Amino acid sequence: MTQNKIEVSGLNFAYAVQPVLKELSFTLEPAAIGLLGPNGSGKTTLLRALLGHLNNWSGEISFMGRDVSADGRSARKQIGWMPERGGILPGFSGVGMVAYLGELGGMPASDALQRAHEVLNFVGLADQRYRQADTYSQGMGQRLKLAQALVHDPQWLLLDEPTSGLDPQGRTAMLKLIRDLANDHDFGIILSTHLLSDVREVCSEILVLRDGNLLQHTKIESTAGTGTDMFSVEGTGETAAFILALENAGATVEVIKQVITVKLDSAQSVILQAAQQTNFSLRRMEPVTDSVEDVFFNLVDA
Amino acid sequence: MPVYQRGYRNWEQSAKRGAPPWWAIARKGISSPLGSRRFMLLLMAALVPAVVKGGFLWFAWKMGDMGNLLTGGWTDITAVGFHHFLNTQILFVAIVTTLVGSDLIAGDKREGGLALYLSRPLSVRDYIFGKGLINLFYYFMVTLFPALAICIFGYLVTRGSTGMDMLLLIPVQTILYCLFAGTVLSLTLLAISAMGTRKVFVSLWWVLLLLGTEAISQVFFFINPWLKVISFTEMIHNAGHIFYGTETTILISPYASLAIVTAWSVGAILVLRKKIQPVVVVS
Repeated sequence: MTQNKIEVSGLNFAYAVQPVLKELSFTLEPAAIGLLGPNGSGKTTLLRALLGHLNNWSGEISFMGRDVSADGRSARKQIGWMPERGGILPGFSGVGMVAYLGELGGMPASDALQRAHEVLNFVGLADQRYRQADTYSQGMGQRLKLAQALVHDPQWLLLDEPTSGLDPQGRTAMLKLIRDLANDHDFGIILSTHLLSDVREVCSEILVLRDGNLLQHTKIESTAGTGTDMFSVEGTGETAAFILALENAGATVEVIKQVITVKLDSAQSVILQAAQQTNFSLRRMEPVTDSVEDVFFNLVDA
Repeated sequence: MPVYQRGYRNWEQSAKRGAPPWWAIARKGISSPLGSRRFMLLLMAALVPAVVKGGFLWFAWKMGDMGNLLTGGWTDITAVGFHHFLNTQILFVAIVTTLVGSDLIAGDKREGGLALYLSRPLSVRDYIFGKGLINLFYYFMVTLFPALAICIFGYLVTRGSTGMDMLLLIPVQTILYCLFAGTVLSLTLLAISAMGTRKVFVSLWWVLLLLGTEAISQVFFFINPWLKVISFTEMIHNAGHIFYGTETTILISPYASLAIVTAWSVGAILVLRKKIQPVVVVS
């Protein structure tokens, strides 16, 4: 599995004189990875860089062991790309377009056609596959774009705003498809989106960009807290003494309306000790988990 | 298990190998227009001059006066006549290539398809070569293929009295000339198509280049015969004298025309290299 890694080192890119990506370095193992950042932070440009679409960039991008600058074509055999805008070829039926793009991905024509039927069935477009692709609704168009990204059976999927313009039902269905691919079929997925809720539902890691800088690459669980370092506590007794005992143990303590928030490594045992020492009766003690939203806004606002 | 019950399945690759991407592009682009009945009628109409030329040939053979009848103009069965015949097909070339080729790249750019193509394991060169073959094929459909058919028909009908020239020399000359002219026309049309996103815009510029420059040069020819140089099609035709070994009828040398046409082609390639990018940088 480690040979399926994406390794980026010292990636710099500028449109004319405007730097867009600045010294990006990270390594991605196959997983569902959310690519987050405000508008203009360089998300789409980073995806384009991984596809080998950019000129005049510096640094190194290795895609499954292949240097993208030297061997972009064989790297792209293992990438399925779903663009945010466009991506529907005129003059094709749904199945015709997917099969055609499969052929361009190196498949024999008969395999490509059979495979096109399979992936269109998987994305839920089996009934509409013979319809002209440029007459599809936006939701169907997004599904078609996912199908063309899957047709040549890549190892990685680069999805640029896949739920853009979808109604709630369509969004849920699209996220379910992506989640299935990530969890059940070991795809590496990079999901570029503005919608933090999409990332929360699908991804296990996040890459956060701002102004072309990588602010954080982390697993969501570790960032969100495992429940071991931050607790919310309520109780009765000598509150001031209890807080003092916690602070003496090195904890950061916040009190808002009788709710005490304690932040410290191994906070659970420290809280229990402090409560015992000060005869503070604990009524409630719950781990506090940061949401993806908290992480994102903390990083971006910082 | 029926396909509708399957979830996602990995592709089980068959023993067959995939075609080169340029061939997949060319095959699709060539087959698409053939689905239109109107377009097929147009292609058949483009064969009418060749049929008439064949008819003349047969008639002259029957009358036993071939030498006198079949000289001059497009009925001529010598190299000059074939060269002239190809030039007279320019109207059909203009119509067919405009219909087929004007949206080849412009359409992809308009619909965001270019980046989709280039997200596949193919190069810009594959893309241009595949698209170029589409134009070349339809150029051949209205020029080379009918010309070769006349050669074969003429040889068979006259029971070989047209000589080996008709069977070997003229077909080879015609193939070389059509390859040259078709490549120039194809590259130029692709370059114009790559410069815009609207089919109308591309079509107008293409027709203006093919027919408009010729019309303008005809008008100004009386003022200065050297102004033939502005005619795109005349320059291609004049360079064709090199392939057919015939003499030019204008002041400009065929080699000068060849240089001009080569410069056009190089310019077209430079435009294609600049314009066919997966990422458009708006400054």
